[in-house]
Amino acid sequence: MFSTYAANIAAAIRTSLMDRTNFILNSAGMVLNDVFFLVLWYMFFAGFRQVGGWGLHDVALLLGLTMLVVAISGVFFGGYRDMAATILRGEIDALLTQPKTVLARLLARESIATAWGDLVMGIWMLVTFAALSWRDLPLVLLGLTCGTAVYVSSAVVYASLAFWFAGARSFARDLTDFMLLFSSYPGSIYSGMSKVVAYTLLPAGFVVLTPVAMLRAPSWTTLAILLASSLCYAAIAIVAFHLGLRRYRRGMVPAG
Amino acid sequence: MPSTTPTARAELGAFGTLASAASAFALGVRRNFANWPVLMGRALFYLVAMAVLSALWDKVAAQRLSGTLASALPQGGLTLYVGATEWIALSIAAIHLRLEDDIRLGMLEPHLLRPKPYLVQKIAETLGDSLARLFGIGAAALIALALSGRAGPPLAAFLYVAVLGLLAVTVGVLLMTLTGLAAFWVRRVLPPYLIMQKSIFLLGGLFAPISLYPGWFYRFAMWTPFPADLFLAGNQMIAPSAATFAVSAMIQILWIAILSGLVALVWHAGLRKVLREGV
Amino acid sequence: MAIVSVENLRKDYRYVRRKPGLARLFSRDIQTIQAVDGISFQIAERERVAIIGPNGAGKSTTLKMLSGILEPTSGAAQVLGFVPWKQRRALAYRIGVVFGQRSQLWAELPARDSFALLRRIYDVDRITFERRRSQLVERFGLGALLDQPVQRLSLGQRMRCEIVASLLHGPALLFLDEPTIGLDITAKAAIRDFIREHAGAEGQTVVLTSHDTRDIELVCDRVIVINEGRIVVDQPTDQLRRLFLGHRLVTLRSAAAGIELSLPGVTRRTTEPHLSIFEVDTRVTRVDVVVQAALALGGIEDITIEDPPMEEVVRAIYDANGAR
Repeated sequence: MFSTYAANIAAAIRTSLMDRTNFILNSAGMVLNDVFFLVLWYMFFAGFRQVGGWGLHDVALLLGLTMLVVAISGVFFGGYRDMAATILRGEIDALLTQPKTVLARLLARESIATAWGDLVMGIWMLVTFAALSWRDLPLVLLGLTCGTAVYVSSAVVYASLAFWFAGARSFARDLTDFMLLFSSYPGSIYSGMSKVVAYTLLPAGFVVLTPVAMLRAPSWTTLAILLASSLCYAAIAIVAFHLGLRRYRRGMVPAG
Repeated sequence: MPSTTPTARAELGAFGTLASAASAFALGVRRNFANWPVLMGRALFYLVAMAVLSALWDKVAAQRLSGTLASALPQGGLTLYVGATEWIALSIAAIHLRLEDDIRLGMLEPHLLRPKPYLVQKIAETLGDSLARLFGIGAAALIALALSGRAGPPLAAFLYVAVLGLLAVTVGVLLMTLTGLAAFWVRRVLPPYLIMQKSIFLLGGLFAPISLYPGWFYRFAMWTPFPADLFLAGNQMIAPSAATFAVSAMIQILWIAILSGLVALVWHAGLRKVLREGV
Repeated sequence: MAIVSVENLRKDYRYVRRKPGLARLFSRDIQTIQAVDGISFQIAERERVAIIGPNGAGKSTTLKMLSGILEPTSGAAQVLGFVPWKQRRALAYRIGVVFGQRSQLWAELPARDSFALLRRIYDVDRITFERRRSQLVERFGLGALLDQPVQRLSLGQRMRCEIVASLLHGPALLFLDEPTIGLDITAKAAIRDFIREHAGAEGQTVVLTSHDTRDIELVCDRVIVINEGRIVVDQPTDQLRRLFLGHRLVTLRSAAAGIELSLPGVTRRTTEPHLSIFEVDTRVTRVDVVVQAALALGGIEDITIEDPPMEEVVRAIYDANGAR
């Protein structure tokens, strides 16, 4: 199954890189965008020094990890982005008649070209501003793996809403954006309701905040939380998707 | 016999243009409310963004770290300020994309065949669209403010922000119009758009008032139209005063005049190009 | 008094052709395409004229210059007393334009709203507007469609709305650029009938471009053929047919499986069992001679005598021109 996936995603990656001008334009735009926000954070910390124990290096770590999670998800699981629209257009019919798992096929069918720009930026961010050392590399990779798992799983859950109602086409994208929004600010600012949201519905907490905590203050507890959360969210995603798929196969039409 | 009375029509002149601009404006408003799920989506985005940004600024205000700008912050922190600037920023409709489509895809033709100026119609329509968004997102903002139990500014501040917000959105639409008109000369409007957007965020003070910037930077920003788009209105939420309100309004009106002139110039240059070379 | 008069109109498009490699940095090769190369014609009131030609011949360019949205490189033109590219807005009140491939309606809105907006744009007073709109809507059977968003209509329905939209301000002159393109036969017929009758009733002048020769045959009484930016032919439709081919087609349906006719200038076109089509060169043998000969054979069940399809006429003109 892994090799089929690899073959599928390799083809998707090749396709995504074919439109050179668009790719360069969008990547350059994204890089400038990221540099801009870095400048804003620099100005912020120049003025306010720290917020809840987080300084510029910590925000850089956060942003770097977020970018890399988005990058890895986009390159290797790019189908997540438009999954709701794909479901609503009935394009999974063709996949249902084929022998491989539908979810894997959906994730592998697209690779987002601009994610490579995020990849470059994320690495640069981590290497230059995040105050990490080479010893941290294993934890970084672990954090990225788990974070990506939670991110993609959440995106799959949002997209699965499309089996139930048609408004999910744009709503799923919105929810992913909200999750990213929560992932772009120091975790120390969240309290009460927002903290609950950050660790459940829009799990920025598990996508990046826990990995950051693990890198700054490694402990077995944080590691356990990280691993447990990724398995948990992956399970939820698979269940949600298959419930929706079963509904689809029964011929139930999404509302709206 | 076809009815054509050119002389009567010539008399209508400016009045006619105004009337058709008014119906374009009404169209922009109506279309937005007809598409209300999208409007609700925008309001939701606003609320989520505010949830995160208010968490940030509240934390900063609560810490009150000595030797930092925290001492320069108003009592309630910057949440109210950002609430106003985000309200304006999210209400400015994407006229640059519509202009890009019309200009690049040759869709200008039907408009050029009509007796009314295309751009006036387009801007009027976008202003209507933006007004509807101001309304929808503003309602969500007020409800959220009431529910949050946060101390609000004096009532007068809301009035000031409402008026300056309307002017601000006009400035923003004109800036986006200039961006969209770049489509006459460049292939993709995206690069100019990104530059414009970032300039607005930075020099207009989306996330924090530009009065917190170092003196030279603040003075430099005030020479640009961007504070007229965000900062001047947002500032009334944290430091409301009739005097600054009047001055801000005048600055905004001045920029509206300047930008309108600029838009007219650029449009005519682009139009000449199209008439010579075809759409 | 000519409604449209065109004198030596010329339009050149210039574009830069880049040389490969380093040469690009040192010189630019400016290429000129002559889209319209000196055309002249006049159109009188109430005429219905078709402008036809192969792709890239200059038809659309001509129409654009006449409607004011393109400036010519040289030459003069007057439309309804206005110089189109100089008095575009004033002219706009008096012409109606329909693009087959581009919509002028607001896509997400119902047609009714588009019409209302157009009333404002053309400064039509409410009473005149409502009267005209009801007449057009009824004539074209649009009643039920007015409240649906335009983007949900079929192409044929949308085109009918577009045509109505272009007539709401009572223009004296109609420009139609490929109005029936992509439509099915019923829709095409509806539009052709409408244009012919409405234009006739309102005394409008019609200038139409098309690839469909039936458009020309059924709607227009004059044909201007443009090829490579020049006018090749400018004739009334009937004359064109006769002059260029001097042929008629005689179709015979017979009881017998086939028919033999050996007359000079008569060639067999196709034969199916019981159906024979003959091409008669009327310069050599008259049609009535052919008919009498056929009838003499007996067993003829049906005779049709018709002009060859315009397609052939047009092809003949292009070929004659290409050879030049």
